[in-house]
This record gives sequence, C-alpha cells and structure tokens, in this order.
Amino acid sequence: MDSAELLKKLSECVEMGKVNKDAPFPPAMKGMDGADELTRQALEMGIKPIEILNDALIAAMEKVGEKFSQKKIFVPQMLISAKAMNASMEHLKPFFQSGEVKRKGKFIIGTVAGDLHDIGKNLVAMIVEGAGWEVIDLGVDVKTPKFLQAIAEHPEAIVGLSALLTTTMQSMKNTVNEIHAQYPNIKLIVGGAPVTDAFSKEIGANAYAHDPQSAVSYLNAQVA
Amino acid sequence: MLNKELHIKPEHLHVDIENILKGMGMQITDADSYLMELIDNSISTGLQLVQPKACFAIFENPQFDLTKKTITIEGKIFKTGAVVCSMLKRSEAIALFIATAGPQIENLSKKEMAAGNGLEGLIFDLVGSELAENLSELLHLRIAELVNTKGQNVSNRFSPGYCNWPVTEQLMLFELLSNMQCGVSLSPSSLMTPVKSVSGIIGIGKNLRRASYKCNICNDKHCIMRRQNS
Ligand code: B12
Repeated sequence: MDSAELLKKLSECVEMGKVNKDAPFPPAMKGMDGADELTRQALEMGIKPIEILNDALIAAMEKVGEKFSQKKIFVPQMLISAKAMNASMEHLKPFFQSGEVKRKGKFIIGTVAGDLHDIGKNLVAMIVEGAGWEVIDLGVDVKTPKFLQAIAEHPEAIVGLSALLTTTMQSMKNTVNEIHAQYPNIKLIVGGAPVTDAFSKEIGANAYAHDPQSAVSYLNAQVA
Repeated sequence: MLNKELHIKPEHLHVDIENILKGMGMQITDADSYLMELIDNSISTGLQLVQPKACFAIFENPQFDLTKKTITIEGKIFKTGAVVCSMLKRSEAIALFIATAGPQIENLSKKEMAAGNGLEGLIFDLVGSELAENLSELLHLRIAELVNTKGQNVSNRFSPGYCNWPVTEQLMLFELLSNMQCGVSLSPSSLMTPVKSVSGIIGIGKNLRRASYKCNICNDKHCIMRRQNS
C-alpha cells in the first residue's frame, strides 16, 4: 500500500467509525485494521503527522459533518467517527506536544450557573473535539469566575455556553456580560434548547448554534 | 398531612427506546441494528443499576392568589407564576414530590465518557433521564389512584423550573418534605444531586384533570415545549 492509499483508508475508517481491528463497528469492516492500526502504520511509513491530520482525519470529519447536516447520518455515527479520530490522535499526541502539529484552536464549554442539564453540552464538546479542536469542558453549574479563570489560562480560546432552563438564560446573559466586560474580544457562542438566535443577539453573544455541527462550522470559520 | 415513600421496584420501570433515539435527534427508522442493540443493552444495564426512590406529601387547603401568581402551602409562599397557579387553582390539596433514579447510571455515564466512549456515555445519560421521568410518571399515577378512591382527580405535574417558576423555589419544596427527600440533596444554586432526579407539584381535587401541555396559556416565549408543540 502506498502512502496515498493508506491515508485514504485511514480517512475511510474515521468516516465510517472503525476505531481499531477489534471494534465490532461497522459490521461491514469486521476484522479489518482501524484508525488505530492504520495511523501507526502511516507513521512507520514516514508519512508526516500533519498530512495524517489534514488529509485523512480532518478531511474525514468534514465529510461526516456534511453528511450530518444533510441528515444522512445522526449523532451516534458522529460520535463513533469522533472516537475513531481520537484513536488516531493518540498516536499524534507527541507531535502536538512538540508543536510540530497543532489543533485548530481551543474551545472552552460549560453549562451556566444554576443549570445542570448537560447532555447537549457533552454532545457539542465531543463533536467539536472530533473536528480537531482542543476542548476544555468546565462541567455544569459553572459560575462566571470559573469561565474567567479558564479564559485567563487560555486567552485565545472561543467560549461556548449552554442553558436548558428558561430561568438560567438569565445566568447566561450575566455570564456573557461579565466575560465581555473583562475580555471584549473573546468570542462567545451560546446554545441549548430554549436559546434562540434572537436571544443570543439580545444578550450580546457573538453567535448561536442550534446543533453541534453548526457550532463546528462557526468555530472553523473563526480560524479559516 | 399525608406523607409516604413509595416502594417502586426497578421492574416496574420502563424506558422507551424511541425516547432515547429522540434524545439523539433520531426516529426508529433512522437506527441500524447495531445501535438498537446498544440501546437495548444499555436499558437493561440501566434497569439493573437504577435505585428508584420516590417520596411525596399531601397538604390540605392550599391558597391561591391569582393576581400575585402564588400558591401558599403551610405558610410557605411559592411564586409559581401564572401558568402553574391557574392550572392548579381548583385544587383542594397539593402533593409535593421528589423522585430519583439514584447516582449509579449517571456515574457509569461519566465513566464511559471519560474513557472516550462518547456514544455509550450519552446513551446511559439518556437512559438515566428517562428513568427519572418514568419514575415521576409512576408516582403521578400512584397519587391519582390514591385520591381517586376519594372521588378526587389529579392535575398535570409541574416542576420548579417549568413555565417561569424559578428553580430556586425547590428549596422551599424540599423544606416542606423535610424528612422525605429520598436521599436527594440541593446545591447552593438549588440543583438536585443525584442529577437524575425530579421534584414537583401535583394538584388534587374533584374538578381537576390531566390535560395535554397547553402553550396558549403561557407567555414564556423561550420555552422549548412551545417549539415542540407548534
Ligand atoms: C433530559 C432532561 C432532564 C434530565 C437531566 C439530564 C442531564 N444530565 O442533562 C433530568 C430528568 C434529570 C431533568 C431534570 C430536571 N429538569 Co429537565 N429536561 C430534560 C429534557 C427532557 C431533555 C434535555 C436534553 O438532554 N435534550 C437532548 C439534548 C441533546 O438536546 P439539547 O440539550 O437541546 O442540546 C442540543 C442543542 O440545544 C445544542 N446545544 C446545547 N448546548 C449547547 C451549547 C453550545 C455552546 C452550542 C453551540 C449548542 C448547544 O446542541 C445540542 C445537540 O444538538 C428537557 C425537555 C426537552 N425535551 O428538551 C427537560 C427540561 C430542560 N428540564 C426542565 C426542568 C425544569 C428540569 C428540573 C429543574 C425539574 C425539577 N425541578 O425537577 C430538573 C433539574 C434536575 C436537577 N438535578 O436539579 C425543563 C426546563 C423548563 C424551561 N423551559 O425552563 C425542561 C424543558 C422540561 C419541561 N417540560 O419543561 N431534566
């Protein structure tokens, strides 16, 4: 197998969600090498980590995102692809640490103060990570100081806020204001079932996304 | 005042696979056999791990103030907002309840997520939520059975956090159920631990009935029930 073929295969594994040889999913690829094995082989073959990342992994996740937007696949397939991507990323870790390859950027996410609905937030975190971002998940019931501290540690990050209660939409508003008062240039994206685009504008957030894929599109557009 | 802890066994609980799929934005026709099996197995595990607990107390002679939009129970004034207040105004008595599915499923979900198994973690999380909801439904039905024998009916159930009723009022609700909290505790911002818990209020009276969730009576323009029902 030459390097182009190997990268293509790896890309397919991520797209289809084939994590490693033992993984039972997808049934059609049973017993075949997965993202884990193929990444090791690619590195052994001397393919540059940056090529693995861009030509195989990110390319695959872009296809996954597209298929999700077209409703050809759903959340579970996206998460399985993200898992395959992460299996591959494990091998690339040393190159991230040395700075030879970089993630797209950093994304801080949390459910706002007074709220602990986190299913949607977790989903967004997993899918953004799968799209090549470093995710810093602050958890639930996150008060503004905790967001501010994370921003101080990662000043280049984009921040996502989640709220599921109409009553905690007020906390979202406060947190947006308090973050922008201290860091006017930080980009804030908001989401959660009761949140709307109109509400996001009203409270001065930079963006609203109704699902993880739109969040990824917004994030990618910021670093394009 | 009547108060009671219900003995609900895990085998009385039920998780609808369609609701789990709905939580992932899917319908039954969107799912392949791999996913259906994964969900099936997760539901079985959930039913093994669930520690259902449900407590309620019934308080007689609640007072309703429709202009102030409050309900007063044992001297405690709940600012429930217009919707809950008017839906319950014909109640002769009020049931307050706490129900929890316990911490186990939530812990398993966190463990799966930390191990990089996002899908498995998500499914357990959804199963835990469904169990908490299902448990509140069972409790609702048991209360209905209990009061039906006296010729009374029940209203819909509402929770602090619904329909502009501040979630912080959960504190007062917990105070009124002081020794009946099913092991559920409240954080300083009034959230329940274990997370897979539901608290709420149910009206009891001869002239009450359960109705489908009505959006035209509520002015909460952000509420997601509105979007789902429209
Ligand atoms: C599951 C659930 C629970 C679970 C919690 C599970 C958990 N860990 O989160 C349980 C059963 C425990 C629960 C309890 C409560 N809940 Co609840 N819950 C729900 C329910 C049914 C689904 C929410 C959900 O997970 N949806 C699935 C996810 C995938 O969707 P999502 O969260 O919307 O996220 C998507 C998008 O919004 C977006 N998104 C989300 N966050 C973000 C963030 C960013 C940055 C971006 C870009 C995008 C984004 O992407 C996600 C994926 O597509 C909703 C009703 C509903 N149908 O929505 C009520 C609901 C949110 N709950 C409600 C309430 C009030 C409560 C309680 C406070 C009630 C009570 N007093 O007992 C308690 C609090 C519990 C506690 N421990 O204190 C109310 C809120 C009312 C309102 N409008 O304010 C709702 C709407 C129910 C209702 N009928 O009114 N709940």
